[in-house]
Amino acid sequence: MFELLLDALQGIMAAKYLVPLAAGTLAGIVGGALPGVTITMTIIVVLPFTFGLDPLQGLAAMTGVYVGGSAGGLVTAILLGIPGTPSAIATTFDGHPMAKKGEPGRALWLGIWASFFGGLLGAVFLIGATGPLARFALQFGPWEFFSLFVLALSMVAGLVEASILKGLVAGMLGLVVTVIGNDPVMGQERLTLGIPFLRGGIDFLPVLIGVFAFSQVMQEVERIGGAAQLAGRLDRALSLAVSHAKVIWEIVSRPFQLLWFAFIGVLIGVLPAIGGSAASMFAWDQAKRISRHPERFGTGTPEGIIASESSNNANVGGSLVTIMAFGIPGDAVTAVMLGALTIHGIQSGPLFIAQNAQLAYGIFAAYLLAHPLMVLMFALGARWMLAVVTVPRAVLYPVVLVLCAIGAYALNNTMANVYVLLVFGVLGYAMVKAGFPLAPFILGVILGDQIEINLVRALMTDSNLWLFVTRPISGMLLAAAALSFVAAIWQHRRTRARGAAGGEADF
Amino acid sequence: MLSRDGWAGLAVAAASLLFFALTLGLKHNPMVPIGPGFYPRIVLGLSAALGLWLVVADVVRSRRRPRARQAGPGAPRPANYAAVALQFALFGVYAVLLPFLGFRIGTFAYVAAANALMDPPRAASGWARALLTGLATAAATWLVFERYLLVLLPRGTWTGF
Repeated sequence: MFELLLDALQGIMAAKYLVPLAAGTLAGIVGGALPGVTITMTIIVVLPFTFGLDPLQGLAAMTGVYVGGSAGGLVTAILLGIPGTPSAIATTFDGHPMAKKGEPGRALWLGIWASFFGGLLGAVFLIGATGPLARFALQFGPWEFFSLFVLALSMVAGLVEASILKGLVAGMLGLVVTVIGNDPVMGQERLTLGIPFLRGGIDFLPVLIGVFAFSQVMQEVERIGGAAQLAGRLDRALSLAVSHAKVIWEIVSRPFQLLWFAFIGVLIGVLPAIGGSAASMFAWDQAKRISRHPERFGTGTPEGIIASESSNNANVGGSLVTIMAFGIPGDAVTAVMLGALTIHGIQSGPLFIAQNAQLAYGIFAAYLLAHPLMVLMFALGARWMLAVVTVPRAVLYPVVLVLCAIGAYALNNTMANVYVLLVFGVLGYAMVKAGFPLAPFILGVILGDQIEINLVRALMTDSNLWLFVTRPISGMLLAAAALSFVAAIWQHRRTRARGAAGGEADF
Repeated sequence: MLSRDGWAGLAVAAASLLFFALTLGLKHNPMVPIGPGFYPRIVLGLSAALGLWLVVADVVRSRRRPRARQAGPGAPRPANYAAVALQFALFGVYAVLLPFLGFRIGTFAYVAAANALMDPPRAASGWARALLTGLATAAATWLVFERYLLVLLPRGTWTGF
């Protein structure tokens, strides 16, 4: 394993891979730093640039975006009090107060180095756990895969912050998208309404790009003209100078806390759909609970920044494990990476590592190398990146939508995908406005085909439905799906009861 | 009276039932034990049921729901849905005209128009900014994708460009 990793690290150092990795990391940092631009949108924008590259070059660029974007949100979170990405929300709690107290450099670099160490701990898990988990998944038959996908979908539908019912409806709508087109067993045309383009089914990438990019851009368009001018909030004379040795010591002198926060990040990353924002909030809350001085949280305590940023970047490692071992995207970013793999004809899942060892270890190496690159880029241009947030949205958003159109068109060189992009853009925006979560919808679109294929395979092998329950792994996965569902209902009821007690019955 | 959730549920249920009815016309191959309509019927049946559940939940909730209060002076700024509709329409026009105008002309026109709509020019410099943004985007994306990444972008049947 280590030989393969060393070879991959040597390989990724070649300019051919290092340039896309560095460009992706930079794009991630800039995208993450821009309030209103998420990592998902950044990776969607980067996607068309990877079409002309070889698989590892493209995936290196995307890994860079993921790592850079996870850390990029801290710049504006700390210096302006505006989180660049949702995963940097918890960083504002202590990062911004520390910056306001006159220590912006310390706050910023605590966040950057915590991201670095958290990310590396996530890498240890990624490299160590992906192989064994994939080997475990190789024991799966169609019953187990069906149950695993049902578990993933039920978790996503249940764990969304909106109503569980809306989460379920969104997931089902995603599955409905996949039943359009030829059936996977006999290739018989179904539900195409006579539209020839639909015979082959609907590609999930234009759907994903449409729902995420349009919903986000259009929500910003709603507010255009009323948004606060960030340029006026920048302090040009801000000093970010800091003793790096002191900052690093502040982090590594708390090894158990760092490990705990990284563990939280990894664990949440493994679970589908709960991303970096949940990881950083949960880690910040944990840091407060285990601290001897919980009253200092929210006033600029270093533990708050370390907890948020280390768990947030460790989360990336967890998300990558799920996609590489099981073929299930942990979030929208890994869903785009899954799409990039599909474009190059590579199937993710349990056989991914065995069949594409070079590529898998290349991703590990890119993930490892993206962290020092991220630190280097912050060291070279933290101040410059702060100026990037002043880019006018009226310039940025049309360019983003053009890149989305290119991404959709270039998949098969057909305009039909651009129309799909637009249709699902409208649907995604309507779903967001009606309070339907997008994550279950997208997971439904991605997993729908596999759910059908595995269900049909299982029933054609043996029509006994009880096998889904009596086969041990399948039964456990279905039980876990039911449990996660019950837990989600309990959690929602508890939140509702608390809201009622506080006089805020806003559901 | 239904709220937004109720209407959404109704739309989901109606669309699901419509598609469900279409699956009844799918021919079953006697050689294959599971027909092409088997899985879609499960999915569409479940989504129709969930849609109807959303409607029922909304009706039940509407009985408990207090009357909406009038927006006071401190209420948040209303969303600019007209701007959103315009941007969607503009992208729709871009998508439709792209095969006729070609990528370079279409993108130049789209980006310039979108920029001008999002931030309406008040002077000649504003128009120059919109046109330059369009020109720079069209030229840069064309160069990067066609020349360096070898991604073929649409040529216009009207313009040949």
